Amino acid sequence: MSSEQQALTTTTDHSPVAGLAHDARGGISNVVLGMLLFITSEVMFFAGLFAAYFNVRANAALWPPINPESVPPEPFHLAILPLVGPATVLLILSSFTCQFAVWAIRRGDRTAFLRNIGVTFVIGVTFLVMQAIDYVELGREGLTLSSGPYGTTYFTLTGFHGAHVFAGVIMLGVVLYRGMAGQFSARHHDAVEAASLYWHFVDVVWVLLFSLLYLLPGKG
Amino acid sequence: MASSPRTGRSSVARIAVTIGVLSVIALVAITIIAGADPLGAGQHFVNGLFPPVAVTDRGIRVRELYGYVFAVAVFLFFLVEGLILWSVVRYRRKPGDDTLPPQIHGNAIAEIVWTAVPAIVVASIFVFSWQTLNVVDAISTQPQTKIRAVAGQFQWQFEYLPADYDPAANPPKEPLYTQLAPTGDDGGLVVPAGRTVQLYLFSPDVIHAFYVPQFLFKRDVVPGRLNTFEFTVNESDAGGTFRGQCAELCGTGHRVMLFDVHALTGADFDAWLQQKITEANASPSPAPSGAPAPSGEPGASGPPPAAGPTLQISALNVAYDVATLEAPADTPFKIEFDNQDASIQHNVAIHEGSIGGTEVFKGEIFAGPDKRTYDVPALKAGAYEFNCTVHPNMTGTLTVN
Amino acid sequence: MATTALHPTAQGYRSTLYEWVTTTDHKKIGILYLVNSFLFFFIAGIMALLVRAELAAPGLQFVNDLTYNELFTMHASVMIFLFVIPILAGFGNYVVPLMIGAPDMAFPRINALSFWMLPLGGILLMLGFVTGGAAAAGWTSYSPLAQDRPLGMTGPGEDLWIVGLILIGTSSILGAINFLVTIFKMRAPGMTLFRMPIVVWTVLVTAVLVVMATPVFTSALIMLFIDRNLGGSFFDPANGGDAILYQNVFWFYSHPAVYVMILIAMGIISEVLPVFSRKPLFGYKAFVFATVAIGAIGFTVWAHHMFTTGAVYLPFFSLMTALIGVPTGVKFFNWIFTMWRGKLTFSTPLLFALGFLSMFLLGGINGAMTAAVPVDFAVHDTYFIVAHIHYVLFGGSVFGIMAGLYYWFPKMTGRMLGEGLGKIQFVLMYVGFNLTFFPMHELGLAGMPRRISDYSSTAGWTELNLLATIGGFTIAVSMLPLLWNVFVSLRTGKIAGDDPWEGNTLEWATTSPPPPYNFDHLPEIRSERPVFDLRHGPKPGSAPTVEH
Repeated sequence: MSSEQQALTTTTDHSPVAGLAHDARGGISNVVLGMLLFITSEVMFFAGLFAAYFNVRANAALWPPINPESVPPEPFHLAILPLVGPATVLLILSSFTCQFAVWAIRRGDRTAFLRNIGVTFVIGVTFLVMQAIDYVELGREGLTLSSGPYGTTYFTLTGFHGAHVFAGVIMLGVVLYRGMAGQFSARHHDAVEAASLYWHFVDVVWVLLFSLLYLLPGKG
Repeated sequence: MASSPRTGRSSVARIAVTIGVLSVIALVAITIIAGADPLGAGQHFVNGLFPPVAVTDRGIRVRELYGYVFAVAVFLFFLVEGLILWSVVRYRRKPGDDTLPPQIHGNAIAEIVWTAVPAIVVASIFVFSWQTLNVVDAISTQPQTKIRAVAGQFQWQFEYLPADYDPAANPPKEPLYTQLAPTGDDGGLVVPAGRTVQLYLFSPDVIHAFYVPQFLFKRDVVPGRLNTFEFTVNESDAGGTFRGQCAELCGTGHRVMLFDVHALTGADFDAWLQQKITEANASPSPAPSGAPAPSGEPGASGPPPAAGPTLQISALNVAYDVATLEAPADTPFKIEFDNQDASIQHNVAIHEGSIGGTEVFKGEIFAGPDKRTYDVPALKAGAYEFNCTVHPNMTGTLTVN
Repeated sequence: MATTALHPTAQGYRSTLYEWVTTTDHKKIGILYLVNSFLFFFIAGIMALLVRAELAAPGLQFVNDLTYNELFTMHASVMIFLFVIPILAGFGNYVVPLMIGAPDMAFPRINALSFWMLPLGGILLMLGFVTGGAAAAGWTSYSPLAQDRPLGMTGPGEDLWIVGLILIGTSSILGAINFLVTIFKMRAPGMTLFRMPIVVWTVLVTAVLVVMATPVFTSALIMLFIDRNLGGSFFDPANGGDAILYQNVFWFYSHPAVYVMILIAMGIISEVLPVFSRKPLFGYKAFVFATVAIGAIGFTVWAHHMFTTGAVYLPFFSLMTALIGVPTGVKFFNWIFTMWRGKLTFSTPLLFALGFLSMFLLGGINGAMTAAVPVDFAVHDTYFIVAHIHYVLFGGSVFGIMAGLYYWFPKMTGRMLGEGLGKIQFVLMYVGFNLTFFPMHELGLAGMPRRISDYSSTAGWTELNLLATIGGFTIAVSMLPLLWNVFVSLRTGKIAGDDPWEGNTLEWATTSPPPPYNFDHLPEIRSERPVFDLRHGPKPGSAPTVEH
């Protein structure tokens, strides 16, 4: 019944199985390496979507295209979105708070760790709410997933980023819960390291997306 | 089981003999199928390893390149298979031999040699293929003939374009003549031998591919993208007909997207095109004769007093809605044909007996959504089959009694 | 079934089943992979037989056009995604921890998760058959044909196909991450990277390919799904999308996927040849570098599937495609010179390895021929290409899989597979395979396009098609001795013992089958052949002998 025994331990802990051969190899832990590889695959996933975005944009004569519902006709305005600027600033800030939490638990400072993870978690939720509000605003302006290549790429890219933020928020929530239960210490906190790596990744993708969608000049 | 895992000579001999015997049986079977002529079959087999004889200037270059690549391939194949066979035959473990052979871990010089030599071989293939590619893909600014091939689900049509046609212009110039039927003596792509032909490919729906085996060439027909290529049919091949077919899966009717290429001499081509243009101008639209049959009393309103009934049939998704029709014998009747397939051409053609039989009636081909009423002449009692000229797999039976 | 001894108690029966369903032991999961893959192999094989039966003679005899399109679409999808890729992952799962001296994979429960996503994804993939039509746009599923259009005939089956593949892809990615962490972090003391068995190296490179390429395929599938169901305009020119974009994204994955399907089979061959030649692998390091090179170049050749679209820069992709022949050639010479001056024992694993060498060679050569772009213009999308991929995936991968099955079956079950039945299977499969696929070269050159359900009796393709069909059914018959062999050997096969083949690698240093957590004690690891060293004593001086 060794498999059942093992099922009782959590993924993020060193399972007895991993421990057997683990001590022979130094360096980063299995969990952190696994997360780095998972992030690599996520990078390739977004690379596929970004490639599609650049391709569609290169094919278009006018970018952003004309909003068919505007009178007089004018292109879509993404820059007027009220919340995207604050949301971006908040998300970048959250990467810092997340890293502070990691440094805190490395020192063994559980109070600072919990405080910083809590703040990161709240910012993540706030970002999602702000994105939802922005979506509603865009829908009012007439931009939807089915309104041509512009809407399709915009909502697919930001939507999948949003889904990843959601996944990150869940990871942070789990880390927060386990932290409050006292499961992390200066020696055992691989889950914190892994979650923070994922959160930084989500943040970097957003910075790229923001630059592409809002800062890169249009054409035509 | 039958033999221990350590047997050597006897085991390999048995396997070699079995494979040999089975191969001979297979060869005999092949020979019987191929016409009980071993030498001829061998010749046939070797010929089959080459593409067909090319009928275009570019095709000849591709076949030359194929010859080179094939020679390299055959050499490498026999070299490596020979080495494998030699190792298998020469280095069998003798029964009872428990000693180790020399434990050789590698040889740096050998590795360098068999990295460098293949690199040189593939480089040579690349250089030759690049040179050929530059010829095959070359496009001249002033081709002598311009034709647009339109590939839709599931038919080809060929538009003969004026000399000053510019595919980039918006809107482009109208074609001089449009060939609707993709196959047959009076259909297909007609090209002048000895003159440069530039072909523009257009698809209104999905991806198709223009493929003529004897051109040794194909090019995809991609919606939203203009693909252009050029060729010159050899003058010596004037009078020939070459089979063409869609080569990119395009749906359920993929296999019926056939077309013929007819090569005429330059003078014959000019005369043919002129005649087609004249004919097309003379009858701008072959309007259906007779008024559409009213829904009420069909017998009373038709112009011929003894006119038969009006049969209903429609086409949707490249299929007829009915599989059987019935009509009275020795009486002219009407077929009201409703083509519901947007921008797809259909018609109804009737053959005696089966599809292979004599065509006794051929309705006008037109694109949907649209309707035509065909006047079918009196037919003798008997069994008939009808189909769509453009899509021979759309079929049904007609019983006349 | 009359004897009580054959009646397991209800409790015992349930706990056996429970144990297999809940297991996190890499060996059991590996066997689950193999069994699951062979089930799907059987299903996809039936589809192939239907396709061959339909093509045996002109005229539509058995299926209509739509069913035919569904059959070849699902044949390819199931063979690729549910047989070849997972069965190689299954061998990897079984042997990698054993070969590097680890007790299990790095993440045993994620390992179980990866496996159980497969049958689920497979069922979704094929569910279309019972919900009004399976996917019918080819396994490549090119847009716009795969869009929801009446004439593409792609209904909900296409969406199920997409969702199933996303699930299978995710399983593959999780499995690959698990392999990478296991290989990097769990090797036994002394097992340096350059002492790892070649099959572990090929699993490593394959896992890198999966982590880098499969997510791109997932993105393509998701974009296709959005196009079909949510009004997106990525790939449909009618909505302002780009049909070629799909092909670029698709092949960016699907070309490396070909290496995912062959590299581990190459690794298996590289284990079998040295053992049955009683010599070390010739040029171990050259072999490793060649594997890495194939993986790296594999990312730069995807557009050679798109030469005829007129939308790719031909010379670059032509050159890279030709270049991939160089490391493959290096491997061939290393394999041959492993046998050279050796002492060969012709057991079934070696026979299948020789089948691999002689047949995969042709798949490499006819592939290199199409790297010459103008030749590809002539043969692209014809049966020549069908011949090529089957010489690679059947002549290569399937022969490699069979070699691996006969080689490791004793380790997995403790019993040998019968040699006689194995040899009958090999001979039937070898002859049937060539009878099926060699004529396809000639069909393609004569101009027969792929994916057509019928052809004219005047086209001159009838005899060759009939031959191919006879060959196809011969392959099917060759599976019967295998089934019987497994069935009989599980009960009455010769007891294998720890090391029936005089193997080189660590899995032969433990019992057959190995205990939970694999090893009671490990031999010292001083070379890439620790068990050989144990049997024959370490070489005087650790430097490998290099013969001039």
